[in-house]
Amino acid sequence: MAKRYALFALLAGTLMIAAAYASAFLPGGAPGWSGWAMALGIPAVLVSVMVLGAARGERGVGRLVYPFAFSGLVLAAGFALALGLPANEAAGATLYLGLPLRAAIIIYGIGLFPIVVLPIAYALTFSEQTLNAGDLERVRLAGEEWARARAAAGAPSAETAPRPAGEAEAIHTGAAR
Amino acid sequence: MNELPNVRQPLIIAVALAYFAVVVLISVWAARRTRTASDFFVAGHGIGLVALTVASVSTSVSGFAFIGGPGLIYSIGLGAMYIVLPASVTNVMGAWVLAKRMRLLGEARALMTVPDAIGARYRSPAAQGLSAVAILVGIIGYMATNALAMGVVIDAIFGVGLAWGIWIGMGVTLAYSVAGGILAGIYVDVFQGTLMAAASVLVFVFVLKVGGGLGGISERILAADPGFLGPWGKVTPLAALSFFFVFGLGSLGQPQGVHKYYMLKDPLQLKWYPLLKTLGLILVLLLYFGVGVGVKSLVAGGELAPLPKPDAATPTFLLGFTPVLLAALVFSGVAAATMSAVNSFINIAAAAVTHDLPVAFGRALDNELFWGRAATAVVAVAAALLAQFSGSMVAFLGIFGWGLFACTLVPALAIGLNWEGATRAGAIASIATGLVVTLVFETLAYFGTYTFPTGVAISGLSLVLSILVFFGVSWLTRADAASQLDPDVRLVMSV
Repeated sequence: MAKRYALFALLAGTLMIAAAYASAFLPGGAPGWSGWAMALGIPAVLVSVMVLGAARGERGVGRLVYPFAFSGLVLAAGFALALGLPANEAAGATLYLGLPLRAAIIIYGIGLFPIVVLPIAYALTFSEQTLNAGDLERVRLAGEEWARARAAAGAPSAETAPRPAGEAEAIHTGAAR
Repeated sequence: MNELPNVRQPLIIAVALAYFAVVVLISVWAARRTRTASDFFVAGHGIGLVALTVASVSTSVSGFAFIGGPGLIYSIGLGAMYIVLPASVTNVMGAWVLAKRMRLLGEARALMTVPDAIGARYRSPAAQGLSAVAILVGIIGYMATNALAMGVVIDAIFGVGLAWGIWIGMGVTLAYSVAGGILAGIYVDVFQGTLMAAASVLVFVFVLKVGGGLGGISERILAADPGFLGPWGKVTPLAALSFFFVFGLGSLGQPQGVHKYYMLKDPLQLKWYPLLKTLGLILVLLLYFGVGVGVKSLVAGGELAPLPKPDAATPTFLLGFTPVLLAALVFSGVAAATMSAVNSFINIAAAAVTHDLPVAFGRALDNELFWGRAATAVVAVAAALLAQFSGSMVAFLGIFGWGLFACTLVPALAIGLNWEGATRAGAIASIATGLVVTLVFETLAYFGTYTFPTGVAISGLSLVLSILVFFGVSWLTRADAASQLDPDVRLVMSV
């Protein structure tokens, strides 16, 4: 189910970005909403791709739902604030960690906040959500099975040669043995 | 990077020569350990976590991060940061989306190349061959541009002229590429990446010291040119966000980065890969940001004359405001970074020619190591000739490399390895769409036949179109999806 939602969000985000690009071809150039479409479409695309990669079977993304939601919100809110806040870049402007407000939101918010959360979430959930020794062993066995089936089917020795269409089904059903 | 200021000084030349000597020593060591095609193309799947991470950081940045990038910030302000800001998510995104799947495919089938993975995913020699063609087209541009950049940097250091700069750089790169394959490339990257990370931090410290801290830098810039520190710099929101989109999602299609996932010795070490790589990238990119805003601040405060050209930002700052030894390390590092990029691309192009295309045509070569070395030499010489003689065309070739990789590989590889509903027809259609649309649009734009609206990145537009075609064609042919997956590939996609 998580993958289905992710695919939907990926498609929706891509369509928003497509709409932003398409609007730039209108007479008069890109309208004001094109930036907003990008600002919402980009987080949708990036987070949905991560969900697509992280989701596992019935478990979906498990505890990773929180870092993913956080990152999506940080990206969308950062872009939205940069678009929506009034410009205050001028001599004497208040600086936040050395930068004017909107620049600080972009550099520290977009550029640094996700770093604090995502790679650490990846490491902390690695064995339950990404890969463990059991997964590795199953893949090794599946690879050996594939190689045996391939050899039995009389395929060329090159391990990497993709099989022609139909061969896998034959092997899978045992017809090729 | 058409021309750099003359940086010839005895210490800079001495450091550069020492740098090249280390590169030669590494290549001799690597050559003794390279015995098979697997050693040559994927380092025998035997690289440790730290080495892979540092090498991956090196490959990610190339010379652009040290010369072109700071120059771009100097020109367009914070808008140029949208090229590197996606690094906050791209490394971990790559780990979730591709690293595990690619490494496990390597484990199950001993795969060596990115087109290998596409061929295995869709059980399609056609998809493998087409993706190899797309990679070759993109690499022609990248290689020629990097060969030219290499010549420019070497000429600036040694004063040998551009043509000799290209051939000296290519000769050194070729020597270690042919002898030690990707193993030499990895350990040269480790050496170069470590030094550059340290140098980048030191340069950033000097920027802060000279500028009176980030606050002082900002105050001077805001007094002279407030728009520079606006959230989009001097470009439109659409253009800045296009950078973020293309360099964010597009990172999943860069073969020089994705290909490295195969090389990790123990797949379980992937656990710390995104954290280490992200931290490494932040260190290396401090120079990108620091020199860009630092030089702008010095110009705004009247301490420096306006630069004759943006690419002079880094050399001007290093020669004027840092110790010459630090400047020497950075200049040598830039030369090494361009050589590292060339090495990666040579290796991938050689694999496409001697492995992917023959496999796609059902005629795998017998001695891939020999042919890999031969192809490496041919590709390198061709790139050097192209860089030397193609004139302004080399700039055109360099424009579309990143975008072409993104729009041809992101849908078929990154989405396809995570979505069982993707089909062979969808993959082939998206690769073909990305290839054709990018080449046609970039050609129209380059020759001025058609002017794209402000803010529309051709690579972004092409990426969007190839994703939509991938979804559309996969949906139309969805009845075939299940039958196009081998059991082991299905398992790799489900764990």
